[in-house]
Amino acid sequence: MAYPHGELLRSPSVWQPVSAEEAWRLKREIGTGASFVAGGTLLRTQWEAGLAPYPAHMIDLTGVAELSGCGPVDEEDGGWRIGAITTLAQCRSHAGLFAAYPLIMEAARTIAAPAVRNLATIGGNALSRTGDMATALLALDSELLWQNDAGTVLEPLSDWLDRERAGLSGAPGLLIAILLPAACRMPITPNARRRCAFHKVGRREAFIPPVVNVALNVELDGDGAVADIRISAGGGTMIPARLAAAEALVRGRLPDAALLEELHAVVMGEYAPMPDPLVGEDYRRMTAANLAAAALWQASGAGGRGPGEGEKPCC
Amino acid sequence: MIEKTYLSAGRSAPLRIRVNGRETELDVPPSKRLLHVLRDDLGLTGTKRSCEIGRCGACMVLVDGEPVNSCLAMAYQCQSKSVTTIEGLSEDGMTLVQQCFLDEGGYQCGYCTPGMIVSVTALLANDPSPADTDIQEALSGNLCRCTGYGGILRAVKKAIELKREQTG
Amino acid sequence: MLLNRETSGGRWRIRPDGTGKVTGKLAYLTDLSLPNMLIGRVLRSPHPHAYIRRIDVSKALAMPGVHAALTAKDVPGLNRFGIARPDYPVFCEDRVRFIGDAVAAVGAETAELAELALAAIEVEYEPLPVVDDPERAILDDAPLLYPEGNVFHRNEFKFGDIEAGFAAAAHIVEETYSTPRQMHTYMETEGGLFVPGEDGRLTAYSPTQHGFMDRMQLSRILAKPEAEIRVVSSPIGGSFGGKDELNVQPYGALLALATGRPVKLHNSRWESVRAGLKRHPMKIRMKTGVDADGRLVAHRAYVVADKGPYSTLGAEVLNFATEHVVGPYRYGAVDVDTVSAYTNNGMSGEFRGFGGNQAIFALEGQLDRLAALLGMDPWELRRRNLRQAEDPGPLGQPISVTGGAGQVWESLAGSALWGRRSDPALRSSSTAPWLLCGIGSAYVMHGAGLGVGIPDPAGGRLELRADGKIEAAFGYEEFGQGLIASLTQMLVEMFGFAERDIVVTIGDTDVVPDSGSTTASRATSMMWQSLRRMRGPFGGKLLEAASVALGKPADALALGEGGIRAAENGRLLMNYASLAASLAASSAQPIRTQTRFSYPTSPVDRVGAHYMYSYAAVAVEVEVNTLTGRVRVTDQYHAVAAGPVINPQGYLGQIEGGSSMALGFALTEDAVMDGGHYVTKNLDTYLVPTIVEQSGGVTVDAIEELPEGDEHGPRGIGELGSVGLAPAIAEAVYQATGKRVSKLPIDPALLQERFRFD
Repeated sequence: MAYPHGELLRSPSVWQPVSAEEAWRLKREIGTGASFVAGGTLLRTQWEAGLAPYPAHMIDLTGVAELSGCGPVDEEDGGWRIGAITTLAQCRSHAGLFAAYPLIMEAARTIAAPAVRNLATIGGNALSRTGDMATALLALDSELLWQNDAGTVLEPLSDWLDRERAGLSGAPGLLIAILLPAACRMPITPNARRRCAFHKVGRREAFIPPVVNVALNVELDGDGAVADIRISAGGGTMIPARLAAAEALVRGRLPDAALLEELHAVVMGEYAPMPDPLVGEDYRRMTAANLAAAALWQASGAGGRGPGEGEKPCC
Repeated sequence: MIEKTYLSAGRSAPLRIRVNGRETELDVPPSKRLLHVLRDDLGLTGTKRSCEIGRCGACMVLVDGEPVNSCLAMAYQCQSKSVTTIEGLSEDGMTLVQQCFLDEGGYQCGYCTPGMIVSVTALLANDPSPADTDIQEALSGNLCRCTGYGGILRAVKKAIELKREQTG
Repeated sequence: MLLNRETSGGRWRIRPDGTGKVTGKLAYLTDLSLPNMLIGRVLRSPHPHAYIRRIDVSKALAMPGVHAALTAKDVPGLNRFGIARPDYPVFCEDRVRFIGDAVAAVGAETAELAELALAAIEVEYEPLPVVDDPERAILDDAPLLYPEGNVFHRNEFKFGDIEAGFAAAAHIVEETYSTPRQMHTYMETEGGLFVPGEDGRLTAYSPTQHGFMDRMQLSRILAKPEAEIRVVSSPIGGSFGGKDELNVQPYGALLALATGRPVKLHNSRWESVRAGLKRHPMKIRMKTGVDADGRLVAHRAYVVADKGPYSTLGAEVLNFATEHVVGPYRYGAVDVDTVSAYTNNGMSGEFRGFGGNQAIFALEGQLDRLAALLGMDPWELRRRNLRQAEDPGPLGQPISVTGGAGQVWESLAGSALWGRRSDPALRSSSTAPWLLCGIGSAYVMHGAGLGVGIPDPAGGRLELRADGKIEAAFGYEEFGQGLIASLTQMLVEMFGFAERDIVVTIGDTDVVPDSGSTTASRATSMMWQSLRRMRGPFGGKLLEAASVALGKPADALALGEGGIRAAENGRLLMNYASLAASLAASSAQPIRTQTRFSYPTSPVDRVGAHYMYSYAAVAVEVEVNTLTGRVRVTDQYHAVAAGPVINPQGYLGQIEGGSSMALGFALTEDAVMDGGHYVTKNLDTYLVPTIVEQSGGVTVDAIEELPEGDEHGPRGIGELGSVGLAPAIAEAVYQATGKRVSKLPIDPALLQERFRFD
């Protein structure tokens, strides 16, 4: 029965660890009755819809020092570290993050609404797998820093998502931070031609989970050919993925009309949506292909504005 | 070690929050939602209950000055924080934003109105002259079923205009 | 007059109920609580269709803190309700017919205990086959919800030789239109506080659109005289038709009487979704023919409505659709058949527009398709077929005469938005070639009032109170539409009172007269009629009394702000408090005037036919993103002919708000069901428009002119804005993309194109 669970008589215990090691140990000791809670916004919808059991124990992550903070790892490296409990509101408004990795801000802007973003965290959204953040982070070659029995472990986000897709489910620990490589950072020099775009389509114009999202991170060489590219896509209940075949197709080539047509066809074949009672798979595939190809078309300088934007062209 | 972090096992624990400027201590379960703390324990019914999953904005309050859906925030998440409800906004008479909603007819049934006004208040506190797209983004989590948002937008624009005049 | 704050001047007034709303101080009925109160909860069926084999509440009752666990056998009176026909079980006895059906209710000391008590109730069900398609429901081999069959109601309307008409047609369009299960989505879910009095009376503080109807129905359920029940029903956090029928009231009342304690119920959103009414999904097949000049020669319509399991106002909604699939046009022949079928889906019922939204979407779609076949401007096609002022109504019935049909046609034709159709810039842009623009329009003729054959009482009361306040008492409800503001405005403008002289009393069956229901766009009309009837007698009595008190002839006196004034120079002679005091001192009768009449009806013998109509024409501009198939409405123009504007702010708000609902109906809203179960359980999946959807402009032209000698004054506008937008959007989408929309909400997949990069 889908009754909201509400606060039943026995209210959950709340644990407030101060270190990642302690938080992880609590989870191990209490077991399945315990749930990590950061913002708790997605969990709330799952509890109310009966999709996740209301936990007997909540492990509050907001006091765990290592999980906060957002900034360059060090001056030498140039990459960034975003603590897992960094709120989406912080991602939306962080000027330095925007300058370095505008995709993060673009994705954050489309997630939920401002008040929800004041509670919801980047870690929570990324680990939900079906939000927008994982798609954006994939296009940035992000790595996840986990706390587990072995201590801290670093792994590419794409590896973790691959394992999830393969059904080897479950986070391998507590997510401490997301690491963004220097290679994907926006260049300081304005003449380098790196372009980023994040496009999202939902069943409504705002405050809506993605039906399809596409993130593009591309660098063009002096001739306008694709020097380097990352395209990722997600939406619905599918686990976001890099579109490796699409990337391979365009790498080193000039994004002319013929190539874009080919790219469209490749994305149609490569993008793999999950069944959904409200939105058809063919529609999702076509949307992903249209958005990916149009985004590259625009990144190559052909168009003026993003394909998801709805400003009036006329009138 | 575990005992050190153990906050509560199904029992009420003292919640210390500042509500509308007043220090308040309550014995409530730590996972109780702020919405119910406000409405049921403190009798502040200006904060409205509607979807209870953070999708409508009727229960919007300010937590340390930022808008938060009080149906999403649990008591322990508000520990030692300052909460402002619609009642707290107008303790010293009606605010400019409230007056603009009144003048422009930015409400009908009024049930979404407290949450809407809280969101507008937060928006204008952070940015006194937001662009149209900023207004849309800031209010995208507040659903209104009566007005079609026309009167609400007029009220927000009026408030921006008056604020600008006030500050010269 | 383009309606906005500037053009309204001093008539743009702050609502009397506004301060409480913007400060959060106004207590809604679901905000009330009392010490010692219990929390009530209802146990509803997990099955869309099943026999109940056993219900055992003993474990729930045995729980400490649980004070009542009620089932069908605990209902002292009629275990049914329903405004038109009481067939909706308060508690199901032996069979459930949808997942909102109630089988038991509990009253407990806390919400948590009430929830646990529900879980402790044992119910054994034997599932039955689920009927979830209204078209299949009426086939011979369908499982039955009732022994009499699954046809709930039929209607028809026919004239002329339909086959000859089609034979003579130059063009024929056949299309099937489908409309969604739209949810009212009032922000305040159903609820209230139910308080047993020491005197044996019961007070129900719970939103409704007709307090006296609730009182009568509760009386029937509780087997308790109406005089022992008080219904307090305003303010209301939105209704739109959805709270007209009883919802939580039977359970609250029964629990309060069973326990002798106040009981509060307040539905969660999911419970509201599950048990609440929705707009009837309809499938409408139409075949319409025109001659070469564009005259409508034949029009056939077949409507199938999904009723869900019980009546409520389903028959009346179907009758309304029967009338409105004919609409404002002249035809050579018409052949309409409509049927409403029982299913195990959600309950359908009354919802702003009342069957007109579905009917007009289909009818206007036909006109646009025919215009395209004819190569004719779609608005010109409407003009050629439009009714004339003196024509009978859609069902051949006499109706009140106005020039509204022509007026709104002219207004739209002359609007800047409609004029932009020929602008070459309306095509697409080079930087975002996937964005296409289009402009479309639709025509609305919408009936108000309940129609022939349905009791439609009206009336109200004016009184000079002992404290000198002028009290206006009406049995209408304030659910946000601005009824208090409109009444206040009429008292100010018709009588000359100041706002501070006036007290409006509504929403309490103990103190207001029965003015009929606050539905069907009727309340403002009826208040205006009431005040017009009472103006002479009530004003006359005030002046006579003042004449006695002041020793001046009554014709030298006038009603005015603050009190009685000198007719010649407006000087204040006596305030209303002094007048009241002088009456009391002389032991004179209190000054009080009451009126009672009925909403005007057409003199025909056809149930539901309307007499009063409002007209609207809507133009919209849309932008279609062909990469995604998504549609945005970028501009709207509404021409409305409904008589004088009583309350400019309220009028504008009704058109803007109504059109926003229509926008949802067209683009995002559908309470999706699968096998009798809701898929969309809360506002994360049931999608009403956000402020981003509404970022385009809305212009309203209010046409006030009525024929000389018109006796009916302001027509209703509460529903008008919510009806015509969807077909206008569909046509605008066609103009942008060349694709026809026949199913709402619009499926983006239909409009999506593979993008070509050349």
